[in-house]
Amino acid sequence: MYVILVYDAAPKRGQKVLKFLRKKLNWVQNSVFEGDITEASFMELKKEIEQLIDKKYDSIIYYVFDSKNYFERGIIGLEKSNLDTII
Amino acid sequence: MKKNFYIFTNGILKRKDNTICFEPFINQETQKPSKLLEQTDLTNIPEEEFLIDNDEIEDEKENQNAKTRKFIPVESIDSIYCFGEHRFNTKFLNFLSQSQIPLHIFNYYGFYTGTFYPRETQVSGKLLIAQVQHFLDEEKRLTIAKEFIRGSLFNMIKNLQYYNNRQKDLSYFIDYLTNALKKVDEVKSVEELMGIEGSARKNYYESWHLIINQPIDFQKREKQPPSNPVNALISFGNSLLYTTVLGEIYRNQLNPTISYLHTPGERRFSLSLDIAEVFKPLIVDRIIFALLNKNIIKQDDFEFHLNSCLLNENGRKIFVKEYDEKLSTTIKHRKLNRSISYQTLIRYECYKLIKHLLDAEEYQSFKIWW
Amino acid sequence: MKITGTHINYYFHCKRHLWFFAHHILMEHTSELVAIGKFISESTYERKQHELHFVEEDFEFVLDFFDKNTNTIHEIKKTNKMEELHIWQLKFYIYRLKELGFHNVKGIIDYPKLKRLIKVELTEKDEEKLNEVIKEIHLLVNQKKPPKVIRKSYCRKCSYFELCYV
Repeated sequence: MYVILVYDAAPKRGQKVLKFLRKKLNWVQNSVFEGDITEASFMELKKEIEQLIDKKYDSIIYYVFDSKNYFERGIIGLEKSNLDTII
Repeated sequence: MKKNFYIFTNGILKRKDNTICFEPFINQETQKPSKLLEQTDLTNIPEEEFLIDNDEIEDEKENQNAKTRKFIPVESIDSIYCFGEHRFNTKFLNFLSQSQIPLHIFNYYGFYTGTFYPRETQVSGKLLIAQVQHFLDEEKRLTIAKEFIRGSLFNMIKNLQYYNNRQKDLSYFIDYLTNALKKVDEVKSVEELMGIEGSARKNYYESWHLIINQPIDFQKREKQPPSNPVNALISFGNSLLYTTVLGEIYRNQLNPTISYLHTPGERRFSLSLDIAEVFKPLIVDRIIFALLNKNIIKQDDFEFHLNSCLLNENGRKIFVKEYDEKLSTTIKHRKLNRSISYQTLIRYECYKLIKHLLDAEEYQSFKIWW
Repeated sequence: MKITGTHINYYFHCKRHLWFFAHHILMEHTSELVAIGKFISESTYERKQHELHFVEEDFEFVLDFFDKNTNTIHEIKKTNKMEELHIWQLKFYIYRLKELGFHNVKGIIDYPKLKRLIKVELTEKDEEKLNEVIKEIHLLVNQKKPPKVIRKSYCRKCSYFELCYV
């Protein structure tokens, strides 16, 4: 499945979330990640993030798609990180 | 589905925060390996070469590189390909091993150099013994070797038939290969089998000047070094396929050094060469036809030397892109009634081989069914 | 070879699976369903803290949770689709504990998602059956080649599906 995830957390916890997410998804721009992920790995991700954030103050929103074919992706302005696998 | 990452940009690959990080060098110029360096005359290596791994310098550089650094999610990686000039340390290699990611390295000229093959976590003694037994027993070895060749020839014929229906008369070559395929049954030794395969393949390559529309001089296969653009494409494509098969073998309990068609691993993981034979026509050859006939790759994507021809960096990038797309092409598997990728077809070849070796089911090599 | 709860489970599930597993032809890592199951069991019950390992000469097994006060083994499972397998697995544990000198042990299988509990007790007949099963497992694993494909509807969900059917 394909996941897009945005987070809004206090700087200290945000840093932890950022570091953790880099293992599983591609960073696209500040506080935004996306990428292909397996169901089990995504379950793990949600559980881990729950422990990193403070639920009273921080917020994480995610969008799940069956695959990349189900949405159109566009960029206006700068592409901060391209997702090519040929680097 | 995990992905392959192909790195052409020069830079540092490292483990950072338990994932993989790539930091491009600020100066992207690639140094052609000089004769002096090849002769490992250490006194002639500039002092910077020694200093560069100093931590202080790296820290200083870090800030500059941070802007362009790119994190590659470790959990999304199938394999990593290094086509540029890269620097990494044992911490990085240990991390790859722990994450079970093979690393394939190509040199400045695009020749395959080797693979960092992480320690295998699961080994089956039973299967290893079966692999050896099937090699030692002449007849058993020949049975498997023949099936690799049958698949290889069958798939070559399929390619020719495809173009034969497109206003090109390839019937002479199709007949020749069909005849060779019949002869395989009667072969008595692996050497004899290799002979049949060799002359069939020679004929097959000869037919390419009819298939390929671009005016490219290609008469025969020459490997060391490739002598013209088509040979350069074949060499590069075959080495990519070799690494893909190796990656699939790695994810099974098969031992990659025991092979049946090729002589077991003197220098290479030869089982990978065996299995690759079956898939060359479907994957490598079809990419070459498409690249040339659709004019995606052109004369200036090659480098011509005195008596050799190689893909240049841009040419290699074009090929790799096409190759990566080819591997993820999907097809409906008839027996399983599932949609699977070409790469999965290679994995299934390993499964079938395992079953054959364990006496569960006779090996039938992959034959294009569509 | 040490017989484990997994061997008993696979024996009742699929003898071919048992044979492959015993010879380290492992496919579990290729299956998304197995990965999800593993995640659920590891995260929901924090079981690692309560696990009890028993290592004998010919056997090895792990209990999810053993309640000393009531002399009961608790085994936690996700769904009861394979209830018979779960029961036999638990009977195997009770049987081994009895051999080790723990008498009158009872078992409870807990399906928390279904809010369902099953009590398991070991009868003399069960013991005989288990003795047979253990003998048969040794015979099976020593067979030169794997048993035939069983062609059941649940094969599709097995991590060995592709290996068996391709």
